[in-house]
Amino acid sequence: MAQNASGAVGARLSPQVDSLIRAAQRGDQDAFEQLVRTYDQSVLRLAMNLLRSPEDARDVYQEAFLRVYRNLHTFRFDCSFHTWLYRIVTNICLDQLRRRKVRKEEPSVVETTDGPVDRMDAIEEDGADSDPERSMWNSELRNKIEVALEDLTPRERMVFELRHYQGLRLRNIGEMLGTSEEAAKNCLFRATQKMRSVLGDFV
Amino acid sequence: MTCDSVSELIPLYYYGELAPAEEDLLETHLAGCSACAAGLEKQRKVAAALDRRASEVSPLLLTDCRTDLMAAIAGGAPRSAGLQKGPWRLFAEAMASTFSGLGRLRQPLGATALVALGFMAAKITPGFLPGLSLPHNKNIATASLGSDDVFSTVRSVQPDRSGGVQIAFDETRRRVVDGQLSDAAIQRLLLTAAHEQDSAVRVESVDALKDRCDSSEVRDALLNVVAHDNNPGVRLKALEGLKPLAADPQVRKTLAQVLLTDDNARMRMQVADLLVAHRDDSLVGTLQTVMQREDNGYVRLKIEKALKDMNASTGTF
Repeated sequence: MAQNASGAVGARLSPQVDSLIRAAQRGDQDAFEQLVRTYDQSVLRLAMNLLRSPEDARDVYQEAFLRVYRNLHTFRFDCSFHTWLYRIVTNICLDQLRRRKVRKEEPSVVETTDGPVDRMDAIEEDGADSDPERSMWNSELRNKIEVALEDLTPRERMVFELRHYQGLRLRNIGEMLGTSEEAAKNCLFRATQKMRSVLGDFV
Repeated sequence: MTCDSVSELIPLYYYGELAPAEEDLLETHLAGCSACAAGLEKQRKVAAALDRRASEVSPLLLTDCRTDLMAAIAGGAPRSAGLQKGPWRLFAEAMASTFSGLGRLRQPLGATALVALGFMAAKITPGFLPGLSLPHNKNIATASLGSDDVFSTVRSVQPDRSGGVQIAFDETRRRVVDGQLSDAAIQRLLLTAAHEQDSAVRVESVDALKDRCDSSEVRDALLNVVAHDNNPGVRLKALEGLKPLAADPQVRKTLAQVLLTDDNARMRMQVADLLVAHRDDSLVGTLQTVMQREDNGYVRLKIEKALKDMNASTGTF
């Protein structure tokens, strides 16, 4: 599974992060910038993976860190900064996903004369497959994956994203989303069931 | 453990989210049940397929985001502040908050300057955009907002002989207009917005204009965006509006140029689709040049097929 150490980074760097936060709370601009740089890559990756649009990811980034800037003085160290930051980020992303559900928007899958194509995947894998049959199979699988992910509720999508791609623990995810570990478990279970039913015959 | 209960636990087992005791029970069951073991294998395969979808963040995008954020924190609100999504609005709020230290950047003006701001703002006449007579148009509702929508940037501060101080500042006032897209004044505002610095404003205005290509002015503006806007998101949006005009010679000429010069693969993929949808022998030369330069497999495939259909050499000499 795709794992990254974003959660662990926060824990491992805790003393340094704490002093950055305190300095930023006192108005130290450099400390704030360092704090942003400690976490912003994982925030941007989360937004990109969820929204599949660099423009939207950029909006999420900007809005999230400006909210952090505005509200950092309210951070009281009663949870990890990573959790606090991700509460903000996941809220903004969930709003975007919900709006998108309402608008039925599909930002990255384009209709071409050869059927729907995920533009981002086409870019990432240019020239990767010289075998046309394999390439067609891959492109069909990619479309199936997009369909499966579209089928998830925004909350299921978020829990899946945080567990599968960001490698966070369900307990932590529950804390970020303001829900219990049990509820996060149920979301993950429903998400994987839906994806297995769509992708099951394809893998 | 029954097969039913095991199948419910497989995703959690795969993600390492079971308690140790549950994990032991499940592993004992899996060792003796080939159907459930196959279920776990399926879970692994689905997860592996999903792994391939993970997006990598381009360093360029990250740099852009950091620059934008730091500019928002260090600078003033720009002229073209987005009204809906509003990072700048958030910024303005951030500046006004009591966040110690960081809010002081825009505060040293003091009461005298605030009075001056209010006085100057009151003197602004409504027709702030040349050529637009918005307040007289009955289809448009306008709203002048409160003093917090006047942004100022101080250019110089000089003490004067009497012990006072002289301050020179630029100011920008925000107003809100509502109206229908069919309204000419709204269209003109959107055409102006399509040149704004803020790409979020450009993309929204192009999005609003894109179904209005029956106006030659809008069509020309979209062609200009497709060929010259530096943001691929804005270009892609303009391209959507031009799709119904893919048979128009002027549009095709611009699109052919875009196919040759645009550095964004998504743009070229969509432009290739549009160009090859209509047989056009005058494009053979351009398409052959594309074949020599293009490194995107999808675009090459499209162009190669179009050239073959026109019995032209595919140009891979």
